[in-house]
Amino acid sequence: MKDVYILGIESSCDETSCSIVKNGTVEIATSTSTQIAIHENFGGVVPEIASREHVKNITIVIEDCLKKANMKIEDVNAIAITYGPGLIGSLLIGLEAAKTLSYIYNKPLIPIHHIAGHIYANSLVEELKFPLIALVVSGGHTELIKMTDHFKFEKLGGTLDDAIGECYDKVARVIGLSYPGGPKLDKLSKEGKPTYKLPIPLNDNSYNFSFSGLKSAVINLNHNEEQKGNKINKADLAASFQDAAVKSIVSKTKKALKDYDINNLIVAGGVAANSILREALNDMCKENNIHLSIPPMKYCTDNGTMIASSGYYAYKLNRKADYYLNSMSTTPLQ
Amino acid sequence: MRVLYIDTSSDYLYSGIVINDKLVSEIKKKYEKDLSKEALPKVIELFDKAGITPQELDKIIVVNGPGSFTGIRIGITIAKTMAWALNINITPISGLTAMAISCNNDTYKMPLIDARRDYVYGAIYDKDNNKIIEDSHIYLQDLLDKSKNLSEVVAITNNNININLKVLRYDPDILKIVKHYENSEGINPHLVNPIYLKKTEAEEKAGL
Repeated sequence: MKDVYILGIESSCDETSCSIVKNGTVEIATSTSTQIAIHENFGGVVPEIASREHVKNITIVIEDCLKKANMKIEDVNAIAITYGPGLIGSLLIGLEAAKTLSYIYNKPLIPIHHIAGHIYANSLVEELKFPLIALVVSGGHTELIKMTDHFKFEKLGGTLDDAIGECYDKVARVIGLSYPGGPKLDKLSKEGKPTYKLPIPLNDNSYNFSFSGLKSAVINLNHNEEQKGNKINKADLAASFQDAAVKSIVSKTKKALKDYDINNLIVAGGVAANSILREALNDMCKENNIHLSIPPMKYCTDNGTMIASSGYYAYKLNRKADYYLNSMSTTPLQ
Repeated sequence: MRVLYIDTSSDYLYSGIVINDKLVSEIKKKYEKDLSKEALPKVIELFDKAGITPQELDKIIVVNGPGSFTGIRIGITIAKTMAWALNINITPISGLTAMAISCNNDTYKMPLIDARRDYVYGAIYDKDNNKIIEDSHIYLQDLLDKSKNLSEVVAITNNNININLKVLRYDPDILKIVKHYENSEGINPHLVNPIYLKKTEAEEKAGL
């Protein structure tokens, strides 16, 4: 069989990224321009600034990726692009570039949903085995998804309010950690013990999550202790928060696996890098004889590689778009 | 010489292809939304109507601002990606200058784009399209004050701006704009970026 090369472009938030992947599983080259240092000044991603950076970087990133791969666009079979969800002004920079390249080089345009991208990042480690449950945890998403085949998604549940990554960043700010605080909070929590009593969020029979109550509980606890003049043990508070958040995610994931009698779990999204979550999922999967796949950190955060990888499977299924393809800030997974 | 012109800096898509001193295809269409969806398909229609492929282009001229941030980025991204892929000359130009060039009045010309809250993106040009007042994000009254001593001034705009001057509706003369810039040197496509003339609110608040 002839090798298939897909060029993937991702620009849904604050990373401009381009990648070439062979047969959906082998990363040939990736170039990413990250804006974290710029947005640090504002304590979070500023959409207008993100868009300005994307337009500055887009052709540079594509050229750099091709140079690293020692390839030309003529050599790829198709161009895959994140069309949504995400920041609309950011998305459309990648979209217009991808549409233009697709037209100039007469290559099929493959539309990829950002969450599908995160899920397919696992293909770079091992091919997806169906049926599976995908746990997507990131700054914008907390979702449990059932897959019975390639691009056959069924959303079982998701967050009713804050995404888990968003909650991490907000709690980190209360504790006094700078943006992006999630990874710093993860590190700090290892120096502490879960001694503070916090509620386990949305402890019900659904596959949904809710983290705003937990976030408020941390903020209130911090505030009340300060009022009383008590010193908060930040490491213990971080550990207590992580304990509650992770328990909620693991218990809902376990329930989904059991209810649907599925033995494959894949984890996706930036929060998949969280060490406590990884450990807890590992333990749960071992106990229940579940096959667990978590991509390495570089494939967990937003990147073009996951878009190119999912682009391969979409290309095989002939999922092509025309030049009227538009960016969408919100759109159901498909 | 085959030139593609793109201006998406307002609520309009203004685009055209000029081949050897002739405007062979053009589009002037207003967009409330969906510019991001339709801009490229409309440009493709221009190629089809002109009977050429993008590979036969010699040059792209693109408006890099001022105006709608999102709008400008759509046109710029298409133009710079195309110029980079085809390895051809690209010249970014001011949309306000394009407005002045398109106006044949023998007077001073004040192209205006509404920037809300009594602000405009504006400039003043003489009858030969030389800049008297640079492109600015400016309080409308301040710009009018600067024009006070000039003999005769017409405003050019597509927005509803209340102003005590003769106002001409902007209708781009794409052939004239292209001829004006046809022999300009052009820049590296990577360096083609919007000129916003205005910091983001976040930067202003942070004092950056």
